[in-house]
This record gives sequence, structure tokens and C-alpha cells, in this order.
Amino acid sequence: MSDEGYFGQYGGSYIPEILFNSQQQLIESFREAMADECFLQQVKSEMQNYSGRPTPLTYCGNLTQSVGGAQIYLKREDLNHSGAHKMNNVIGQGLLAKRMGKNRVIAETGAGQHGVATALVSARLGLECTIYMGAHDIKRQYPNVFWMKQLGATVVPVTTGSATLKDALDEAIRDWCTNYDNTHYLIGTSCGCEPFPEMVAGFQSVIGEEVKEQSIAQIGRYPDRIYACVGGGSNACGIFLPFVNSGTELVGVEAGGIGDGPGEHAKRFNTEQARFGIAQGYATRFLQDDQGQLQETQSISAGLDYVGVSPILADLEQQGKVRMTSARDTEVVEAFKLLMVNEGIVAALESSHAIAGGIREAASMKATDSIVINVSGRGDKDIFNVAKALNDVAFDDFIEDYLGEAAKS
Amino acid sequence: MSHLKSFIQDQRTDKPLLLMTHVVYGYPNVEQSLEVMSHLLEEGVELLEVQFPFSDPVADGPVITDACHKAISNRPQLGACLEHIKDLAERYPNSKILLMSYLNPVLNYGVERLAEDMAGIVPGIIIPDITIQNQRMLEPLQKSGVTPIWIVTPDTDNARLDGISDIAEGMLYCVSNAGVTGQQASGLENICSYLTRVRQHSELPLSVGFGISEAEHLLRLKGHADVAIVGSALLKAFNKDGLTGVEMKLNELQSAISKMSAC
Repeated sequence: MSDEGYFGQYGGSYIPEILFNSQQQLIESFREAMADECFLQQVKSEMQNYSGRPTPLTYCGNLTQSVGGAQIYLKREDLNHSGAHKMNNVIGQGLLAKRMGKNRVIAETGAGQHGVATALVSARLGLECTIYMGAHDIKRQYPNVFWMKQLGATVVPVTTGSATLKDALDEAIRDWCTNYDNTHYLIGTSCGCEPFPEMVAGFQSVIGEEVKEQSIAQIGRYPDRIYACVGGGSNACGIFLPFVNSGTELVGVEAGGIGDGPGEHAKRFNTEQARFGIAQGYATRFLQDDQGQLQETQSISAGLDYVGVSPILADLEQQGKVRMTSARDTEVVEAFKLLMVNEGIVAALESSHAIAGGIREAASMKATDSIVINVSGRGDKDIFNVAKALNDVAFDDFIEDYLGEAAKS
Repeated sequence: MSHLKSFIQDQRTDKPLLLMTHVVYGYPNVEQSLEVMSHLLEEGVELLEVQFPFSDPVADGPVITDACHKAISNRPQLGACLEHIKDLAERYPNSKILLMSYLNPVLNYGVERLAEDMAGIVPGIIIPDITIQNQRMLEPLQKSGVTPIWIVTPDTDNARLDGISDIAEGMLYCVSNAGVTGQQASGLENICSYLTRVRQHSELPLSVGFGISEAEHLLRLKGHADVAIVGSALLKAFNKDGLTGVEMKLNELQSAISKMSAC
């Protein structure tokens, strides 16, 4: 990374003047914390004893046989406390917020995984917590909203714009502009102004560091390829960054949605609808129209439904160090099922994009090759969406019965 | 000396405070937004701030954000917006029109092209998501006489005030308080000491915005600021009572200023 948070032409800081002091304080505190062995030990200890790290690297013999080709391993971020890799970041930033003397954190959330993780850590650290979530996403992911509320967080539905992750992020920035004195903006992905991309990617890099050791122990060498889904890009940065220039090919899988037209997907690469832009505090590839208005996005997974992408990944892709591909909703649901029935692992729909990309390519690789797919989160939260995608009529009956019983009591 | 600075200073010789009113281009549609702009200029506002809407206006509160999103559904074009501004500038030569937008629509249009199209017509541009660290991006505008208006806040320390003053021209945009546009101007109690401090670091005219919505707020600015910026309050008035609402709000503000002159 160069000075001032740039990654090639991407990154930087494009924020309202009112945030200048607060951002400077954050940059300084982050640098101090990262140079403090005591803080790093605290982060490590929480990752181990609260979240359950290290997460396993699981060999999938049945899936490998079913696909035919490369040996398939899964990095099990779904086994973190809260059920997703988001926990790695909130532990780091939560402890940093405490260290800075902030008593309140705010966060944006798409699928709700980051919201739940933030609410969990806030409860543990005694921080007041407000979560901004698009009204559209709340409808898709109410179970997560339920838990955030039970944990004591205030969940604010964001109804402006497309009422999804990008609008929740705008609203979090507005809150930060107003309450920076006592509030830390605990951003959930490696986007935003300096030092957020570097900070989030840094706390997430524990994923890739573990894979390095585990692959040596289990495969005898680094994997030939690593796959990760890419929304904002935090799980991809986490597993990729330790492997940059290592010889392992790094493949990001974006949300292909329902088609290639504007508003039908969330691909920031391999499409003319996305190009260099500056918004939400940083420069990256944004999906935008001919007037520079950010576009609506679509995906079966709320967590990948984002209009921008980590500046770190935008730069690595431009340098040819990360390859980007995508998977459509239908292919994702098939991959989700295939993994479930073969290995008894229920992956999040976000992570199922990485599964889809991985098994698609594994088929044409040699049996002596091996790939690692990052299962960034578990799929329990997706029960409503998956039941709908699989046309499970009994599930609808259950909901009706449940509502009927609730009405009686 | 910048065109904008001399304009404000000239106007200020016989007025205690100038008004900069704000309109979102394309809200509720292009035609009606132009009607509001013409009306404000007709009524003699000294400065008009035309906001070209952006999908993600992070420095704006709910009223302006909502207007921007509605405006975008009409797919406004920055090129056409500039043509309309040019037309208004010709019809109302006694006022000045400034453009406000966020970085992305500006970059998308091309800073050089924007500088060319705005030269001699629009003396200043307000972009809330750029700070002086990135000032070089706006150099073509500066060279064409389109002054970037830099923003200062109550939290801007003296060293940074000096840094901003070094490169600023035209006027300074003094944000009244922490937060986004359209919130209650609760911090106006301290506005006097804040503006006095800014004044010690800059010779430029001072404009004050964010939460300025009532005659009473203007009274507090008298003697400390040169320009009062009113945005969300007019938009709220428009949402409630259309053009009549805008007329009434403007009338309230202008009479408050006339009364200041009288006493």
C-alpha cells in the first residue's frame, strides 16, 4: 500500500471535511494498536477463545469424486462464532474502538451477518450498537434482524435509494458525520476511506495465514487455486492476501444474479457497466450509469449485493494477481445443494458462489491438483430463501401453521 | 481576485447578509426545478446553489437525499443541467449561480470538460466529498475561473484552517455543526466564536450552511457571516406547499434581512 491509503489508483479518502479529525484519529490509533504486541495478543486471544479459531480446512472426498478433477478442500469460516468470517473483523475493530475510548459503534449490514457479529461483540465489550440495514434486506433476512435486536442493538431500516447495502453504508457515514465524538464506524468490509480497507483486510488475513499452515500440513504444499466469493471483498481479501505472489492462483466469484443486464447482477468486473468511480469515501470500480449514478444490483445473496468492491481487489485484479469470475443465482443454488448432500455442510448463499465457481473449474483440473474454497459463512440464515428456491411447499405450510398458532395465543 | 469574492463584497456594501438558496436539479422534475430556480432569482436571491443529484449523497440529510433519489428517477443529464444554468445566468445577470454535486458525477462528466463548459458562467463549485488533500483533481476548474468552494467545520483546527485558507478562493463554506444537511442548527449558540476564529484565518467571505432554516438563525449570523445558505428548509416548504411554500419561506427570510438593514 502506498501513502494515504491508495492501492494503485484505487482507495484513498474522499470524505466530508467534518470527518477529517475523526479519520486522522482512527488512522493514528490503528497504527499504534498494530504496533502494540499487547493489543495483537488480545485480538488473537479473542479470535481463539471467543470465536473458536483456527477454523478447519476440510477435505471433501465425496464432492471431489462427484465433480471429478481437482481435490477440493473447504476453509470453514462458517464455523466461526456467529457463523461467518465477519467475526474476525468485529473482534479487531471492537477492541480498537474500546482502545480509542469510543462507547458506541455503528455498522452497515447486507445479509445481516456483519450486523449480528457487531451486535455480539458489542454485547461482550459493553458498547452501544446501532446497525443500518436496507429495508429490502431486512425483508430477506429477518432472522438476523431478530437476533441483533435481542442482543441489544438498535436496527435502523434504510428506505432511501435501492434500500440495500449501499444505502445502509451511506446512512452509516451520515451517522458517523454526526456522532464521531463517541462513535466508531465499524465497517464490515474492506471498502471505505483509509484505513478501513487495509484494516478490515488485515484482521481477515488470519484466514489465509491459517490456510498456509493447514495446506502444508494436509496437502503438503500450497493449493493450486483458491476461490472466494466477492461482495465488498473482505473474505476474499482475508484468504487471498497472504497468498499474493505465492504461485497459488486466486479466483474471486461475483454475484451473477439473474442476467447480464443493468440491475440484474452485482458484477464489478468483466462488465462494461462498471468502471472507475469515487463514492462512499473511496475510489474503486463501481457499477454506474452514463451519468455516474451508482446502479442497483441484484443477487440471491444479500451479502454480495453491493455496487462497489474493495479497492485492494480492484488493484490486484488490474495487476493480474486475482482473476474474477461470476456465478448466477441458479448455478449457486445447485452448488449449495451439491455440497450439502455430498458433505453435510450447509453453506451461506454468498459462499455458495465460491463453491459454484470452484466446482465449475475443478472439473477440468487434474486429480493431482488441489483447490481451497472459502466457505465464508453458514447457510442457516438463508432458510427462507433456500426453501423458496427449492420450492419446499411443506415449509410454507409450517409458516402458515406457525402464524395461525401465534394468532390464537 | 476571484469573480465570486468581488461579487459578494460588492453586494455586501449595502446588505447585512446575502442569501444562497439551494435547489436540486430535476426534483420533482426538471421543469419544476427550473421554475423554482427562476422564481428564487426573480425574487432577488444573490446566490443560487444548483445541486446536480447523485445517488449516494453522504453529506446530505433525509430531505435532500430523498429529493436527489426522486430526481434521479427522471435521469437528469449534467450537460443539460449546465445548459439550463447558462440560460438562467443570462436571464439573471445580477445573481450568481454555483454548481453543487458529488465527485462521481463530476469525474464521470470529466473535470476538464466541466471546466470548459462552466467557464465564465458558473463562478464556483461545491463538492462535499473532496477535501484539500485531493485539490489537484479540481485544478482544471480553478484554472478556468470556476472556484472550488472549500468547506470548514467547527472542528477544523487552526493549522488546517490555514491550510485551507492558503488555497481557497471565492468564499469559504462554513458548516454550522457536525452532521448532515437539514438538521436542527443546535450549534448556533457557538456560531459567533466559531466564525470569529475562521475570520482570523481568512479574508474570504464566509458563507454558513447546514440547518439554517429560520429568520432567527439569520439574526444570529448577522455581523459574523456574509452569506446564509438555505437548502433543506426551502425544499421542505416546497414539499408542503409547492412554489407558494417556497415563496413564503423566502419572504420570511428576506424580510428578516431587510429588517436587519433598517435597524
